[in-house]
Amino acid sequence: MRTVILDNEAVQALAAPDHRKHRQVLAHLAAVVARRRKGATVTAIVPTAVRVEAGWDRSSAEAAALNRFRLTDHPLDRRTADTAAAIVAGTGVSVADAHIGAVASTATGDIVVLTSDPGDIALASAPRRVTVVRI
Amino acid sequence: MTELEVLDRINELLDADDAATVNTSMRLPVALRDAAALAVEHLGLGGSATTLTAAALRTALETAVMERALEAHHVMHPGTRPTLAEVAFALAAQDGSTLADHPELIERAAADVLVRHPDADADDVLLWAEAQQALAS
Repeated sequence: MRTVILDNEAVQALAAPDHRKHRQVLAHLAAVVARRRKGATVTAIVPTAVRVEAGWDRSSAEAAALNRFRLTDHPLDRRTADTAAAIVAGTGVSVADAHIGAVASTATGDIVVLTSDPGDIALASAPRRVTVVRI
Repeated sequence: MTELEVLDRINELLDADDAATVNTSMRLPVALRDAAALAVEHLGLGGSATTLTAAALRTALETAVMERALEAHHVMHPGTRPTLAEVAFALAAQDGSTLADHPELIERAAADVLVRHPDADADDVLLWAEAQQALAS
């Protein structure tokens, strides 16, 4: 089982076809689909705090294309918010990165984070081992 | 309905509340139903044959929608389709494979594999690259 988490820039890159990292993020989604087609349990998710930071409003007409890729929301519920708050207090990372760290700390299986800021993600996720992929 | 409308509607349905159920008239081969029942009872696969069937159906639909959404996106935005080597590189990175440190090796492997196997996928490329790496060491 694998969870692929997108950070703010990964979402921004996916949202804009003219973004210089757009194709790179699409390649990661294609990789997710490739493994799913072989029966692997792979989910691509976006923590809702990341969605806020990236300005992704699922109800807006502009988000239709992005919504179609089926990135699952990971909500900032009470437990996740508590964990994220502790991460912010301990590391000083952004709320969105702390939400990523909180997701990583509770998820089972392999965690992969697509990010433009590997340092902050490593900080936010520690001590959980995650595969940080720089985009 | 256009294909995009179909994808959007399927997405809406997949995201809808699962609480409502229906007694479907979908016909299931008896042997398959019995195999599912045995797997649930003796192999701990899913809570029931019904949940097992629903989960498999959901997974298949989600994968198909993701794949078609990507395809539709590439048609709408030519030039956004990643190459086989790019997908293989992404897969290597997600796997945490050391091959991700050698993009040139993946690039060569993709080119070599496609000559012999035009339908090769990203895993084929990584296997080929790993074999080449082993031969070279």
